[in-house]
Formats: sequence, structure tokens, C-alpha cells
Amino acid sequence: MTTLVLAVALFLLANLAVALIAAARGPTAADGMLVALLIGTTGTGILVLLAPVMHLPALVDVALVLALLAAIGGIAFAKRAWQRTEGEHD
Amino acid sequence: MIEWLSMALLLVGAFFFFAGTVGLLRFPDVYSRLHALAKADNLGLGCVLLGLALQAESIAVALKLLLIWPLVMAASAGISFAIARRADRLGITPWRQERP
Amino acid sequence: MIRSTFLRGLAFGLLWWILAEGRLDGWLLGGVAVAAATWTSLKLQPPGKLPMRLAGLVRFLRFFLWNSLRGGFQVAAMALRGRAALRPGIIELRVMLPPGEARILLVNALGLMPGTLGVDLNDTSLRLHVLDDSLPVVAETRALETSIAGLFGEAP
Repeated sequence: MTTLVLAVALFLLANLAVALIAAARGPTAADGMLVALLIGTTGTGILVLLAPVMHLPALVDVALVLALLAAIGGIAFAKRAWQRTEGEHD
Repeated sequence: MIEWLSMALLLVGAFFFFAGTVGLLRFPDVYSRLHALAKADNLGLGCVLLGLALQAESIAVALKLLLIWPLVMAASAGISFAIARRADRLGITPWRQERP
Repeated sequence: MIRSTFLRGLAFGLLWWILAEGRLDGWLLGGVAVAAATWTSLKLQPPGKLPMRLAGLVRFLRFFLWNSLRGGFQVAAMALRGRAALRPGIIELRVMLPPGEARILLVNALGLMPGTLGVDLNDTSLRLHVLDDSLPVVAETRALETSIAGLFGEAP
């Protein structure tokens, strides 16, 4: 079981590495912003998987805090975008 | 039984993360890449969290794992709208399929 | 007032219990945290003015979870087929929901629904990016709007 959890964690890490490079090299400026999305999902996934493998239950708390910060950041980000929409009339 | 279900969920979760990365690599523009990352990775994370929660030593630990999911969902939803809107404002036109 | 103080205290107590992984040795700190959280919550959102309906919330969550599941499956299948599976486009729709929280939730939630992604929102209309314009994206958006209207108790 632990082997499988570790394997999935490493697989996600490989995914994250490939995706980060692809996003950073992306053709437009907006592709680079995809990194913000990747850290929230794949990053938390790796953390929670490593918690049982490394016998570090505190990693779940780290993942929770990361998710919380990502949520606050995401909502703030979207709210700013929306408020500017309301303000501009173009 | 629960052990098998948990393993299956972890593998399904890994598959969705893989699909998200494949979408990021193969889709042509930032908008369709956003679709792939937001939807597939969130489902993948949900499966992974549920799989780990099934093995957790107590209900409290399982609930703590599941608490992460809605937070990441809110984050992904907000960030993808903000990126899509920014891309639109930057004048990035969506890729279109050439039709016969 | 007493009822909502009790209910919110209970909810924060449960949250603390989850965060402490069911251990009871930190109850002193936990009690202070729960009291502070309950007080803050009552200050920021006084009882009786809660904008959401519980029944609507349950229905919205069910709708949202089921559709984000569908959305994930759909986009995963498209990713495996490559860009030949895409027929992307931008569509504009009139928003039915009133301005405010309901609209913000709509434009954000669209990113996790099958085939749609909110791009822009102004006073009257909503711009969407869709992965495949032959899919029933307009019907999906309307269904989400109905669900959100029910959440805020503005059902027609």
C-alpha cells in the first residue's frame, strides 16, 4: 500500500515538473499564470500523499494551509478581476 | 475491501492528473488549457483525497483530508476565471478549429 | 441570537475537532479559538441576515459536485483525443441572475462545469469560452443559474 502511495506521489511530482515547464514556456503571457493553478491542485496532492509515506502527519496540515491560502488568493484574484469589470464600461 | 477501493481511487486520481497534464501539453491555447487543468486536476485531487481518507486512522483525520477539497476547488475556480479574463484583456484570441 | 450563537459555536467546535485530529489535549486553546471564531462570525455576519438557504445549499452542492465530475471526465476524454476533439468558441449570454454574489459565484463556478469557462462579466452579459460549441453549453449554464438562484433564495 505504502509503495502505491509513494508511486502516485512521484507520478504527480513528474506531472507537476512537466506541467510547470510547459506552462512557463507557453506561447502567451497568460500561460505562465497557469502555474498558480498547478501549485494549488498538484502541490496539495503531493503533500497529502507524502504524509503517510514519510510518517509526517503534519504534512496534511501543510496541505490544508496551502489549500486555504490558494482559496483566499483565488477568491481575491477573481474578486479583483470582477470589480474591475464592474468599474470599466468598455 | 476498503483497501482495494482506496488503491483504485488513488490510481483513478493519478489518471486524472495525467489527463490534466496531457491537456496542458496538447491543447492549443490558454483557454482550453485552463479547462483541462481546472476540471481534470480537481477531480484527480478529489479521488486522491477520498482514497487517502478511506485509509485514515480516525474519522477526524479523514474529514481533515476531505476539508482540503472544497478549498482547492474554490481556488481553482477563482484563479481560472481571473486568468481567462486577464488573457481576454491582453487580447489573446482563442484558437479555432478549421472547419471544412 | 442564542440559537445561531449555539449553532455557529457547534460548527466551529467541530472544525477544531477535525483540525486537532480528534485529540482532546488541546481543548483550552481550542475553546479560546472556537469562542473567538464564533464572536468574529457573529460580528461579520449578524444572524438573520444570512443570504443563503440551507435546502438550496444542499441542492446546489449536489448539482455542483455531479457536474464537476462530469466536467472532469469530459475534459479528460478530450485531452486524450488531442486537439481534434476541440471545437472551441466564445459565446455571449444574457445573465439572468441579479448583480452581486450570485453573479460572482456563477462566473467562477463555470470553470469547473462541463465544457464552459467564464471569461468576462458585465452589467448585462456573460462571455464564455466553450470547448466544444456543439455541446449543450447554454442549457448547462442556465441549469447552473437556476441552481444558484435557488441557493440565494431567488428561485422563480
